[in-house]
Parts: sequence; structure tokens; C-alpha cells
Amino acid sequence: YGQETIRLTVASSHPTTIPWIGMIQTHFMPEVDRRLAETGNYKIEWQEAFGGQLYKANATLTSVQEGITDIGWVFSYLEGAKMPMSQITAYTPFSTNNVPAQLDTIVELFEKFPEFRNEWEQYNLVFLGATGSDSYDLYTKRPIASLDDLNGMKISAPGVLGTWLRGLGANAVDGALTTFYTDIQTGVSDGVLSLALGVLPTKIYEVAPHITRADVGVVFSGGLAINRDSWDALPEEVQQALLAAGAFYSKAHAQDLMDRHEMALKKIQELGASQSTPVTLTVMSPEMRKEWADRLPDLAGEWAADAKARGLPGDAFLAAYMDGLRARGEKPLRDWGAAE
Amino acid sequence: MSGVEIGVAAIGALIAFIVLGMPIGIAMIVVSFVAVAFIRNETVALRMIGSVANDSLEEYLYAVVPLFVLMGLLVTVSGVGKDTFDVFERLLRRVKAGLGIATVFANAVFASITGISIASASVFARVAVPEMTRHGYTRRFATGVVAGSSVLGMLIPPSLLMIVYAVLAEESVGRMFLAGIGPGLLLAALFSATVMLMALWSRRSVFERDADTRDIAPLPVAALVSKGTPILVLVTLVLGGLYGGFLNPTEAGAVGACGALVIALLRRSLDPGRFWALLVETGQVTVSVLFLIMAATFFSRMLAMSGLPTALAQALLGEAIGPYGFLLIFLVLIIVMGFLIDSISIMLILLPIALPVAREAGFDLIWFGVLTVVAVEIGLLTPPFGLSVYTIKTALGDRSLGVGEVFRGAAPFVLAMVVGLALIVAFPPIAVWLARL
Amino acid sequence: MPTHADGPGGGSGRRETFLARLWTRGVDGLAVVGTLMIVLLMIMICADVVARNLLGGSLPLISELGALTLVMIVYLQLGAAVRNDRMARTDMFLTGLARTRPRAGAVLSGLWDLAGAAVCVGIAWSTLGIFQRDYAHGDFIGVTGVLTLPTWPFRMLILVGITAAMAQFLVSAAGAFRRAARRAEGRP
Ligand code: NA
Ligand code: NA
Repeated sequence: YGQETIRLTVASSHPTTIPWIGMIQTHFMPEVDRRLAETGNYKIEWQEAFGGQLYKANATLTSVQEGITDIGWVFSYLEGAKMPMSQITAYTPFSTNNVPAQLDTIVELFEKFPEFRNEWEQYNLVFLGATGSDSYDLYTKRPIASLDDLNGMKISAPGVLGTWLRGLGANAVDGALTTFYTDIQTGVSDGVLSLALGVLPTKIYEVAPHITRADVGVVFSGGLAINRDSWDALPEEVQQALLAAGAFYSKAHAQDLMDRHEMALKKIQELGASQSTPVTLTVMSPEMRKEWADRLPDLAGEWAADAKARGLPGDAFLAAYMDGLRARGEKPLRDWGAAE
Repeated sequence: MSGVEIGVAAIGALIAFIVLGMPIGIAMIVVSFVAVAFIRNETVALRMIGSVANDSLEEYLYAVVPLFVLMGLLVTVSGVGKDTFDVFERLLRRVKAGLGIATVFANAVFASITGISIASASVFARVAVPEMTRHGYTRRFATGVVAGSSVLGMLIPPSLLMIVYAVLAEESVGRMFLAGIGPGLLLAALFSATVMLMALWSRRSVFERDADTRDIAPLPVAALVSKGTPILVLVTLVLGGLYGGFLNPTEAGAVGACGALVIALLRRSLDPGRFWALLVETGQVTVSVLFLIMAATFFSRMLAMSGLPTALAQALLGEAIGPYGFLLIFLVLIIVMGFLIDSISIMLILLPIALPVAREAGFDLIWFGVLTVVAVEIGLLTPPFGLSVYTIKTALGDRSLGVGEVFRGAAPFVLAMVVGLALIVAFPPIAVWLARL
Repeated sequence: MPTHADGPGGGSGRRETFLARLWTRGVDGLAVVGTLMIVLLMIMICADVVARNLLGGSLPLISELGALTLVMIVYLQLGAAVRNDRMARTDMFLTGLARTRPRAGAVLSGLWDLAGAAVCVGIAWSTLGIFQRDYAHGDFIGVTGVLTLPTWPFRMLILVGITAAMAQFLVSAAGAFRRAARRAEGRP
């Protein structure tokens, strides 16, 4: 018997220079191929459409849902209205800087909460693996000596993360990695709350050379998913290979993020050492981080109340998430979800 | 049929539909829909239409289109163009063929406050052509130099074509604008040289009778200041705001439109009826441009699905043709399409196919964009359909003036543009030096 | 070749009926709303610039609203653009055909109008799905806890605009086929 060839399109809104997109190419796809090659019954003919060839960041969910691509990376982080439970990590800052622990917890919650799984699967797709971000720090035009220095500053932040600045008197300016550089350069904002991995390639440190390492936290950004109709048409063996490769991809990506984060911070300091205002990195003191965490309004409580209003088990989910982190050795700075 | 074959068939069908007169945007959507239905299925094709129609235009950046168009139309009615020409007419009154060169210079300056070439063409058709014919220049030369130099309008920033290219290539609008300055000045210089060479070598084609410019008064400083102020204010607002770090491109468009409105109001060149007509025109231009962008998005996603661009890159960038062979084919193709099709449509049809190849070839996409824009603008001046030429004919409203005469008058400037194109190919820093600074 | 003349679609006959007039008014009305949105867009963005540079704070949701306003401008004016024949096209062949074989020319241009209508049906149909989903999920733009706007009203306006454009394509097609039929009966 010959080998059956199966065509699968794999796509993303972001280019392969973004680590977790690149790892679809370097980890997920080869792992599927490797597993299938063990029996030799099936072979995937991959058709790649990375970097927004098929859809932009505002349509990552619908494009997998509607079969515009078979497999795609879903940016659940931008789908606040459609995937409220997936936003939990954005409303619990200062809880963890450990990506493997966080993504492990998330995968566990998929098993524990059918509502959470359904939040993804109702969109005609099958979840293959989770992705996260590295940790958020402040990159500003002026140095930050105390939290009061942030008072009145305009700080760029992507979407919902503007809420992490509430209670500090800073004005959150909405933006994305692609807009931060010009926004800061043109005075739209005075700095940004962003990721070392995003700052490095976009050269934001050139215009915002003062890094305050605040380690505000890592977030669950989305995941690799496959369209349900495409999935149903696949042989069992291929489905199993995809699931296994998805888990492998997710784990490898989590560890990779941790390593890259430190590397990126180093590289930024190297590259920025000779610029007109050299890059400086200040590690925010534990007291200051605690103060920041405490000055925030009850973000998680607001999130849970919103979830409850939609008929979702907000409080239980929040408690399970925080417990999951603690069970993995994390020590959240603030006890989100405790009665206040 | 393989995806690549479907992609090729789709391009063939698109060309056929366009030649047969189907609206270009509709043709791109129909062809893409059928191709996606073949590559995958009709449900996916239908969903892609919806996704493209709803998501692809939802970009803050696209708001620059109506804003820069409105600004261009406002400065057109406000008489700023005439003032610019007055200044150069008087400064260059002693120079041989000075009015021709004044037209080129005035266009270059006017270009810095308008983003659409038809604005330049219609303004200077009314302002410069009568002056030149009154002073003994031939009508063919007068209209030709206006047509030729009108292309500066979309090369020197702000520019609608640069915006469209920036969107398709995902380059920064601000950088594309900067990239147009060098080539714009180069073309202005080449055009001036063309005018002088014509006056030297082929007097009959320039002058009907001995040019007498003694009646042109010298320019008092006060007049220079009063005529130069509005344009200076607008340039400062738009480009100063953009590069001084106060405005993003969309905001520069809004502030520019607002400033142009204030100037038009101060000069009493605007009544409510006229303003409304300008707004309606702005809307209609916006719709035709953005509907095309939407259709081109679908077209390029269909092509990505077919795998054709990857296959094309492999075929074109191989030994036989190579990157520069591909570039030559691309530029010739643009110029040929320019005979028949309008500038923006050419870009929206060709770039989805060519950009992946250019990226693969390792070209500087800013440089590639400038070459695209210059080549596309040649089409404004070539028969049978040359938008600048038709605009001049309409603006002059002179029944005795045939379009053929204007096309012949513009021909030397087409040659100058080809020379300019070759120079930018040979010396990329002309385009990219400022943009990559 | 893009035609920038006022197209023939509008009247489609000398005896303009009450319905036809009403239709024209409707399409123009949508276009008027779209036109006003251009002014709104300009004012909105300028206000943001002033607020940022003089008052030190950006206005909320300007970039999202600007993007949505632009989409509105396009769709609300689409019908009028179709009626005024402002869609970019090459008309060398059509003009030639209309001169030598007027009937074939009318039929062909009617066919292109039908293609336009079909495209609009496709867009409208899939947008209806998106509208229903957005409505069901309460989809919004903005940030929870800061400022949010529901997206379904915008989808609704896209639907209205695209439906008007579709109807306008049908009106134009009917006009073209009537011209062809008249030619067939030997009338001018
Ligand atoms: Na310009
Ligand atoms: Na032409």
C-alpha cells in the first residue's frame, strides 16, 4: 500500500520572525511529520501562508473557524468579546512570570472547565496547543524612580493591558507593536508597557531607552487550532499526531520564551549602549512592585463579575487559575479573587 | 487542476474581464471568488468575501485617503496654485523658456500640498497654459509641460499612490513619503532640462512666435511673502507635523484638510454649495479607491492560497531571468498597462503578484515602491487613456484643442520619466537615502 | 479607463416614476450621510490632535472609530458611486462596441451590472452572518472597564449600504437590458 498524502494549509496573521509563529514551522510541523513517518501511512503536504497572506490580526479566530485556513494561530487575546474566559491572565497581573507554569495551568483548566473548552470549540475548531508572552516591563523616555513618576505620563499599552496602568495616574494609550515606535517618537506617548521580545525587533529602546524591569507578568495569548471540518476529515492517526505535536509545540514554546526573554533584554542593552541616550535597565524593587499591585483596582473581581453576567463560572475559574499557579510554585503578589 | 494553474487561469480571466469593460474591482472579486471555490470550496469563498469586506478596510491608516483627497481638492479651488505660478513666472521672466520652467517649479512646490495629480493638472491647465500661449508659446508645448509636470503631484509628498503602495507593501507611509522627495526633485530637474533642450534644439515646437515676456512685472518682496505664506503654512502643518514628531499620517491628513479649509475660507473661494460638491467628490474618489483596495485584498489572498506567487518567484528569480530581469519585466508591464488602465488599478492588480517576488528577490521595498510609482505615473501621460491629459482637456474646455495634441506635447516628458526611472534603478540612494536615514 | 462622467444609470428613462425618484433620493440620502462622515472624520481626528498636543491626553477610541467611520464612508456611498458610474473600469472596448453594435454593447454592460449585483449579494449574505454573530456575542471594540462600543450597528450599516449598491446594480442592469430591447424593436 502506498502512502496517502494529505494537504493542509497552515497560516498566521504574524510573520515567522515572531518566535511562536516561527516555532510552528520549526517545531510543530516537523513533529507532525516525524510522528507520521514512524508508520509511513500518511504524509502531510503543508501549504504555508504565514505573515498575513490570508488574513490579518483582526481575523485570526474567524479565519480558522470558517476554514479559510485549516490550521492557524488564534490570537484569543484580541477576542475579548468572543472569548472572555481566555482573558483571565490579562486581569491578574503580578501573578506569575513563569510561562511554562502558566500555560500548564491553562491546559489543566481546559480539562477542568468544559465552559472554557467550549469557549474555543464553539467556534468550529479544535485546540492544539497554547501560546503565551514573555513578561511585561516599562520602556520610557524618562527614568522611573518611583511610581509617582508615572503620574500623568502617557504610556502605550496593547489593548486590554491598558488596565494595568489604572490606579497609577498614567494615561493608557492604545496601540500595537507596529505603532509603538512612532507613537513614542511623535509624542503620542511617553513610553510603553511591553515585552522585551517585541521591543528588540521593533527597536523601541531607541526612542524609550529607560527600561524599568517591573516583571508585571506573562499572559496567555492564544493557541494553535485546527478547523473542525478539516479535523473531522482527517484519519485518526493524523489527528493523534497533530494533538501530540501541538502539546510538544506548546511546551517547547513556553521554555523558549523564558530563555529568549533574558537574551532579548541583554541584547537590547548591548545594542542600545552606544546610542545618544544609552539604554539603562533598572530592576523595580519588590516594594514598588507590591505597591503597584496593591494600587490597582480589583481587576480580577471586575473580570469575574463580567463573566458571571455572561453566565460563566467567573469566581470558580479565577480561583482555580490562582490555585493552579500556586500549585506550580508561583507566588502571586496580590491575592486576586480573595474577598475584598 | 493544481492551485498554481487555478491562479494562472484567474489572472487570465481577470485580464479578459477588464479589457471587456467589467468594473475592475468587481472583476477582481468575481475571479477570486471562483478561484477560491475551486481551490477549496464555495463556502470558504463566500466567507472570505465577508471577511475581506468587513475586516480589510477597518484600518485607521486608510482614513488618510479621504483626508488627503479633500485637502487636494480644497487647495485646488483656493487659488494657491495660481499664486505659486505667479511667483515663479516673475522670478524666471528673464530665463529662456522661463514660463515652461516656472510651470515645472510651481508644480513641484504645489505637489508638496496635494496628493493627487489631477489636482495639479487641473490647476495649472487653467493658470499656466493661458499665460504661456499669451506669451507666444505653442499650445502643444504649454499643455504638454503642464501634463508632464503634473506627475510630480503624486511623487513629492503627500501622495495618494505612495499611501496605496505603503498599505500593500506594509511599509511606513512616512518613509514612502520621504522616498518620493529625491526622485521628485530629480524629475523636476529632468523636466526643466527637457524644456531648455527643446527651446534650444527645436524652437518651433516651443514657440509659436517670439516670446515676449517684458510685460511680466518683477516680484516685490511683499507679494512674494503674501503669495508664499499659505503654501508654507500648509507644508509646515502636514510635513512638519509628520516629521517633526507631532502627527501620524492619518492625523497629518486631517490637519492638512482642516488647514486647506481655513485657507479656502479666508480667501473666500468657498461657498456652501461648492464645499458640498468637493465633499461629494472626495467621497466618490474614496469609494472608488477603497473598493479597489478591498477587491485587491481578496485577490491577493486568493493568490496566496493558490501558491502562485511562490511558484512565480522560483520561476522568475532563477538563472534565466534573475532579479533585474524580473524588475525590467515588471516595469515594462506597468508601462504597457498604463496605456489603458488608471494608476491605482494597475498597482492593485500587479502588486499582489509582484510584491512576494520582489521580497524574495531581496529588493529594498521602498526603492521598489518608488520605481512602481514613477512607472505607474507614466501612464498618466500615454495614449489612449492618460488621466492627466484628459484632465487638462476638460479643465481648459477648449473644443479646438485635441487630446492628440496634448499627448504629443507630453511625449518629451514621458521620455524624461523613462530616463528618471533608469537613474533611480541605477542609483537607489536617490530614493532610499532620505527614507532610511 | 475610469469614466468620470455622470453615468446613465440614474434616470434610466425619460419617464421617471415616483418610485425611481424615491429610489434616487434614498441612495443620495445614504451618500449624504457618508459625505457628512468625512467632515466628522476630519473633526474627530483634529480634536484628538488638539487634545493630545494641548491638553496632554488622547481622546479614547479615536483610531478604532476612525477606522469604522472610514468603512461607513465607503459602504454608504457605494450605491451613489455605482449610480454615477464611478467604479474604475476600462471602457475602450465597451464604447467601441456601443458605437458599432449598440445592442450587444447594452447587453454586455447589463451583464457587468449583474456581476456587480452578484458580488454585492455575496458580501451582504456573508456580512449578515457576521452581523448575527457579533450581535449574539455582544462583540465590541475598546477595552472592558475603560470604554467599549458594540460592533453590530456598524455591521448593520454595512449591510444597508451593500444592499443599496446591489439594488442600484440591478436598476442599472434593467436599464441596460431595456435599451437593448428597444434597439431590438428598431426604435432609437
Ligand atoms: Na504631493
Ligand atoms: Na495611459
